[in-house]
Amino acid sequence: MSVSPQPPAIQVRDMHFHYGPTCALKALTLDVAERQVTAFIGPSGCGKSTLLRCFNRMNDEIPGARVTQGSIHIGGIDIQDRSVDVVKLRREVGMVFQKSNPFPRSIFDNVAFGLQLHRMASRSILVQAVEEALVSAALWDEVKDRLHESALGLSGGQQQRLCIARSLAVKPRIILMDEPCSALDPIATAKVEDLIRTLRQQYTIIIVTHSMQQAARVSDHTAFFYLGELIEFSGTLKLFSNPAHKLTEDYLRGTFG
Amino acid sequence: MSKTASAPHRFNKSGLSLEKAIKFFFASNAGLTIVILVLIIVFLLKEGLGFFPGYRRELEIYRIAGLEFVDLSRQNLTTHEQLASVLNRAYYAEINGKCARELKRSREAAALFNAFSDQTTATRDLILNNLTAGIDPDSEMLATLRKNHAANVQKALAKLPPTPHLTLTERTALIDSLRSRDVTAKDDPPLVATLTEQYAAAQQVQAKPLAGLRATIDAFEATGSDLSTLVSEMTTAVTATKESLQNADILEKDRKTLLAAAARAKDPAERARLMADAQASLAEQADIDGPMQSLMLRKPTCIEAHNALRQTSSEILTQLPTALSQPEAERLLRAARKAAPVFLTTLGQAPGQISQWRHDTRVPLSAAIRSFLTGKDWVTGGEWQDFYGILPLLVGSLMISMVALCLAIPAGVGAAIYINQFASGHEQSLVKPVIEFIQAIPSVVLGFIGILVFGSVLRDLSQLDSLAWVPGFPIEERLNIFTAGCLLALMSIPTIFSLAEDALNNVPSAYSEASDALGASRIQTSFRVVIPAAFSGILAAVLLGLGRVIGETMVVLLVAGNRIKIPDFSSGIGAFLQPSHTLTGIIAQELGEVPLGSVHYRALFVVGILLFTIVLGINATAHKFVSRTQH
Ligand SMILES: Nc1ncnc2c1ncn2[C@@H]1O[C@H](COP(=O)(O)OP(=O)(O)OP(=O)(O)O)[C@@H](O)[C@H]1O
Ligand SMILES: [Mg+2]
Repeated sequence: MSVSPQPPAIQVRDMHFHYGPTCALKALTLDVAERQVTAFIGPSGCGKSTLLRCFNRMNDEIPGARVTQGSIHIGGIDIQDRSVDVVKLRREVGMVFQKSNPFPRSIFDNVAFGLQLHRMASRSILVQAVEEALVSAALWDEVKDRLHESALGLSGGQQQRLCIARSLAVKPRIILMDEPCSALDPIATAKVEDLIRTLRQQYTIIIVTHSMQQAARVSDHTAFFYLGELIEFSGTLKLFSNPAHKLTEDYLRGTFG
Repeated sequence: MSKTASAPHRFNKSGLSLEKAIKFFFASNAGLTIVILVLIIVFLLKEGLGFFPGYRRELEIYRIAGLEFVDLSRQNLTTHEQLASVLNRAYYAEINGKCARELKRSREAAALFNAFSDQTTATRDLILNNLTAGIDPDSEMLATLRKNHAANVQKALAKLPPTPHLTLTERTALIDSLRSRDVTAKDDPPLVATLTEQYAAAQQVQAKPLAGLRATIDAFEATGSDLSTLVSEMTTAVTATKESLQNADILEKDRKTLLAAAARAKDPAERARLMADAQASLAEQADIDGPMQSLMLRKPTCIEAHNALRQTSSEILTQLPTALSQPEAERLLRAARKAAPVFLTTLGQAPGQISQWRHDTRVPLSAAIRSFLTGKDWVTGGEWQDFYGILPLLVGSLMISMVALCLAIPAGVGAAIYINQFASGHEQSLVKPVIEFIQAIPSVVLGFIGILVFGSVLRDLSQLDSLAWVPGFPIEERLNIFTAGCLLALMSIPTIFSLAEDALNNVPSAYSEASDALGASRIQTSFRVVIPAAFSGILAAVLLGLGRVIGETMVVLLVAGNRIKIPDFSSGIGAFLQPSHTLTGIIAQELGEVPLGSVHYRALFVVGILLFTIVLGINATAHKFVSRTQH
């Protein structure tokens, strides 16, 4: 009900993360804005994926991996809390992986999977929800005649958009994308980027990318990480045109290390 | 250092030829394996396929010698005897049931006395032998022997079996009479004798009201005598014909061998000698027409005997009592009542069959094949006629495999799913080696564990009154299909477990990650994503387990009970508690004893071919499923 600028979708406060004894993220503090696209950039191994996976607690599955200090709030709730239902959290925070990973089933079943898990829909509503998700993912026209064929028959770019449609179908508020275009050709990449720009109006999106151009093209905010630390975080335009930090500048210029 | 320039070159060259040698080594190994496999198949086929012509000839002799004709009557006679025996057992069950108390008392007293005699017989015999040998009864040696005997008696008296149906006074009296028993005494102790008499008296008393039944049974037994005499006369005649036919066959075979040898012989004198031998061994045509004619002349007598038997049997069987008082007797009576109409119908059909039977109908090769594939009897080494019918063995193998799979699939696949999807790392490292360890147990060891522990426990369990409702209980045979199936399940669990676990492991983790990220719970991810993706691999695991089960020999040989008979399905699921024989077991059991090259020997090869085909088919199907998982 506040009239002031919207509260952030994700609030990270002084967060430390460990894989067993090794520290992967140090003293992170950042706010991810609601209904904006935020890009995470940084050299390989700096902890981008780790941070992303903290937001839907996918790190829970890795033995020994845990947040050792600080907090992450999503929608005002501390998601590290014991009382948090991971299933509900993941319904709110969808994820698209670097390598597209449709299930070895029909296109329809892939998109319907999340809805059926949560028994969210009767058959007729299901059909409609699948169509909506595919339309949102800009895939409907390409697959509407082959909904019941195997998803593995799609091209790489189509598969990735199918995965986006699959996470859209459960109507999340936040979508995490971990290098979604790294395995795609420029045309398929352009399609996914278009899609991200459209989705921006309804969803909060975080995208991890190694392509500076891509970050510049699709994001509103950019965060630069280095060795598990947040070095710089500001509006994309500002960060790319006028980096405040020497490391950021070096990384952007490609004269790194 | 100066040599380094030429070293790489030399090394290079020898490296190349070494590479060639290695390649050749592996290629020749692969080639050898294939050659051996082909040789095995060729050998199996060569030995096996000779079976069908041989078996055809045996069946032909069976017909032209008239054994087939005699069997038409013989089988009915056997059924008659079986029916009579059931009735007799019912009669004695009724009497003994009614004198149960006397029977038990007499048995207990006798058991006690026997236990005592067994314990003391060694020393007693020693004394008796010395006495008969004329040793002075008062000699020192005999005194020592007597002392030993007395000690032995004390020991025996200390551990006598319980006698719950004797009164304490009776037991004390019996023990006293044993203690003071003279070494030379031959008679039973007085109480044992009295109780035996009492039992006999009670039997007589109880037999009186059953005199009617006794008379009926006696009459029924007597009705068979005409047919019985007839059959035994015919039997003598036809076995003689069969023998002369077989001998002629052997002579003919010898002659052919000699002729072949003669054709090969280079030396003319040698050839002439072989030819002469062959000439000498030219068999006299076995006379089959004469005996057959006289056999056919018996047709009317035979039909008459059948009609008479049917007539009198149906009259006698209506006189059976409607019920008996003892449960066991009642059960037997009911069985007899059920069997009687079947017996009468077959008797009714016999005259038709007898008059239509002809000795000169040809026996085609297909008859031998049919008899093998659909025959219900596997009878070998008998004096009468051998039959090689695969059905009892096939049914046994299939039923045992069914039991094994019903137990091993849930256990093996379930364990694989649990270990792969839900278990902690600690549980994994504990359970996996244990399951795989089962594979290390030699099947002979498993077999005797099965006999001693499993079979006995199961039978004891089945004798509990509280479990009498289970179909097929109480079990008569300790070794049966179910026991064998349980052990085979144990043997195939590791196979199914390991392969199914591999299949689950091979499911890309990207699938479960995607499912997790959509908010699926652990169980949902397992059952909706991972297991369906691994399904064909799991199916392949099950099939390979089945292959293992069908091909297993030792355990079934030891534990299946080895009775060559199709189980009686009238007892429903209890059929699984009957003993049976298997395809593998029969080969293992009989191959050592059969004469090389005989029809029986070849029959076992055909069973082997069948087994080989089944297992090959199963494995091929499994491989199709495996390749399907790998996309
Ligand atoms: N499962 C794991 N167990 C232990 N350490 C891990 C695990 N996953 C990642 N790490 C370590 O954590 C650090 C951060 O890894 P992360 O995958 O988050 O990097 P990233 O920024 O996504 O790199 P990239 O751009 O190559 O994907 C690395 O040093 C990595 O070695
Ligand atoms: Mg990464």
